[in-house]
Amino acid sequence: MDDTPDAPELSLFLASTAHDMKNSISVLSGTLERLLARATPQTESAYPEMAHMLYQTKRLNDNLMQLLALYKQVGTPAYPFDVQPLELGQLVDQVVALERMLLQSRGVKLELDYDPDLVWHFDEDLIVGVLSHAINNAIHYTCDTVRLAIRTTDDGWLELRVEDNGPGYPPALLRAGAIATKETAGGMNFLTNSAGLGLYFSSEVARMHRHRERRGGLRLENGGRYGGGCFILSLP
Amino acid sequence: MNAPVTGAVNAPVKAVTEIDWADKNYLVVDDFIGVRQLLRESLRSLGAKNIDQASSGGEAMGLLARIRYDVVLCDYNLGDGKNGQQVLEEARVRNLINPSTVWLMVSAEKSVESVMGAAEHQPDAYLIKPITEGVLLTRLNRVWHRKQIFRLIDQAYTEKDYLRAARLCDAAIGAHKAHEIDLLRMKAKLMEKSGEPVKAREVYERVLEQREYQWARAGIAKIRMANGEFEQARQAFQSVIAENRYYIDAYDQLALAYQNMGKLDEACAILERAAKLSPNSVLRQRSLGNVALKLGNVQMAEKAFRKCIAIGEYSIMKTPDAYLGLARVCGQKNDPKEALRLLLQAQREFAADHPDIALRSKITEGLVYHESGDYRRARKAGDELEALLNATEDRPDVPTCLELATLLFAVGVKDAPVELLCYVIRNNHDNPLLLDDVQKIFDKARLGDEGLELIRASKKEAIDLMNQGVLLWKTGKLKDAVAWMRQARKKVPNNQRILFNAAQILVSHMQQHGYDPALSAEAYEVLHHVDRLLPGQQRFAQLMEQLAQLQPVVEGGAIAEVA
Repeated sequence: MDDTPDAPELSLFLASTAHDMKNSISVLSGTLERLLARATPQTESAYPEMAHMLYQTKRLNDNLMQLLALYKQVGTPAYPFDVQPLELGQLVDQVVALERMLLQSRGVKLELDYDPDLVWHFDEDLIVGVLSHAINNAIHYTCDTVRLAIRTTDDGWLELRVEDNGPGYPPALLRAGAIATKETAGGMNFLTNSAGLGLYFSSEVARMHRHRERRGGLRLENGGRYGGGCFILSLP
Repeated sequence: MNAPVTGAVNAPVKAVTEIDWADKNYLVVDDFIGVRQLLRESLRSLGAKNIDQASSGGEAMGLLARIRYDVVLCDYNLGDGKNGQQVLEEARVRNLINPSTVWLMVSAEKSVESVMGAAEHQPDAYLIKPITEGVLLTRLNRVWHRKQIFRLIDQAYTEKDYLRAARLCDAAIGAHKAHEIDLLRMKAKLMEKSGEPVKAREVYERVLEQREYQWARAGIAKIRMANGEFEQARQAFQSVIAENRYYIDAYDQLALAYQNMGKLDEACAILERAAKLSPNSVLRQRSLGNVALKLGNVQMAEKAFRKCIAIGEYSIMKTPDAYLGLARVCGQKNDPKEALRLLLQAQREFAADHPDIALRSKITEGLVYHESGDYRRARKAGDELEALLNATEDRPDVPTCLELATLLFAVGVKDAPVELLCYVIRNNHDNPLLLDDVQKIFDKARLGDEGLELIRASKKEAIDLMNQGVLLWKTGKLKDAVAWMRQARKKVPNNQRILFNAAQILVSHMQQHGYDPALSAEAYEVLHHVDRLLPGQQRFAQLMEQLAQLQPVVEGGAIAEVA
């Protein structure tokens, strides 16, 4: 509405560059997944390094996706936000499909606990992005297990939990998480490390989801079933 | 051929083996070779053997014209030339893909186009890169299941048997909880198409009881607008936009609401905003150009029409209106030479698909000369127009007729516009608003009293034709009634009342004397014609349903697709 005159050109330039970077990342992660699928730790001496490359590529992709979405101002009416009804089975299938090779190559077990036939209303692309980012993160810090559990609470929320059996979130991150979840996410002062971007993005995505008087939210805890970090997204 | 499922996942991707994706024909369209190779590899691991690739929209069109694909994976951004949406539109309009074809639109980030709302040609799904094999399989399976649920509904929709389609929706809602919202959306659309706005509104309200879906809000607003409640519609569209700035359809509707309220400035401003958010729509640029032209904002009209022509170069939606509009702009900028050049170009490019382009170009030429004060050339164009009209029985659509009659009177031609206006009355004898417009044109030409008499006589002519047919029908002389209505349609080809009655009599004939393929084909032709004139009428839906029920059952419920 109040775009500056030269804004369209800059945004076109950014969009085409981002498009190009996405292509490169797609090819990188696709190729790595294919190589890993063919290899085993026994037959391929560089297997652990390749697995790490895949993790880093996914991080790169997550960051790019988050920056792009935030550039379009997630949380304001400026992002093409698109809520649709979806079965949880469809949601989880996609997250699993995105994470399968990374899990396998890092030897991490993903435990799932959800009702595949339950229908909920949300922006699929954003929620898939948030969950896969949380799982990528958990894979990096966990000992050997990540758990994705989705359930409806007694007061009618959908609660999506990503838990692990690692050492848990450090106190600084828990504090940042507490700030991110506040209704008035005033400053960006918690954005001092790369974890901040992901947290900020995830909490903005959560807050965009509204139903009647309710707004989605995000919180970080330590504990859960395995005593590690818990990333908890609540959707109305 | 199954995707490797990691043992670590204890609930493996379901439905992997349900559909055989190996035997399908695939087309992959992306301008980046790395992505094409990656997608090809992913498809191969699903077992696919027949995979074609295209690196541009043009190349994709060439392949689509020759080969029927089951699955198309198409990137939205394809560099210079057609974009993915334009490829999809052209493939659908030219019938190059089957209803069962799965079309997945791929993009680097969430596109505005994916949430626009009521865009006519939507892909089956939008996928965001990177696309792994597992994601691809999940989405293919999902789309396939959805298509199964909608197959018969879509078929009835394509046959324009909207009431049957709506009953199929009702039946499916109970069985497919996950698609309830989708099915309700379809049902509301069907009710609108059937001229049942009250029922459509009930469906939208049922959706809103569950969730605040903006398309349901916009749907109700559209119904209110059709009902003449422009101010309420305006408020509703504005709140849809406030909720989701990218719901572009609401902008187009809001602009219409403003136009209906006579607020052209506001309509123009809204269209300008929409065109900024989603600039690649031929139709939106055309609306913007037309409104700007009406407002006398020559600069903006020129920009919109030029953009419209530029996008149209790669789009099946390309329209002569942009050339005609731009010619008017040139006229107002006192450059009739450039205007004439554009009109010649329009006639060259649209001669094949727009039989009335010669007439419409000539009208624009007359307007350009008239507006620039060259009355001699304007009169010459008027004479040429009269000659064009005398050479054929065909007449353009109503707005063009009115524009033409106004111009002809203005340049001093008399017989041709009078004949044209009588034609308009005969074909729209029960439309009081239009009769007023016609009377005004007569008044402006200082033919008020003569016009009044002409309107009365033309009205009577149409009413007599119709009443005689109805009388024959009511007195049981069905065969004579059919023959009479055939004659009536020849005399007044575009009168909706006469057309509906003609179809009704054909249907009655078959209901009493049995199915007849020739009469059935005739009834369909009449109904499709009236639906083109004014879509969304109750009688259309009812007659289409009655006609479909008369068809002998031979195909066993399923229609084979073209292989």
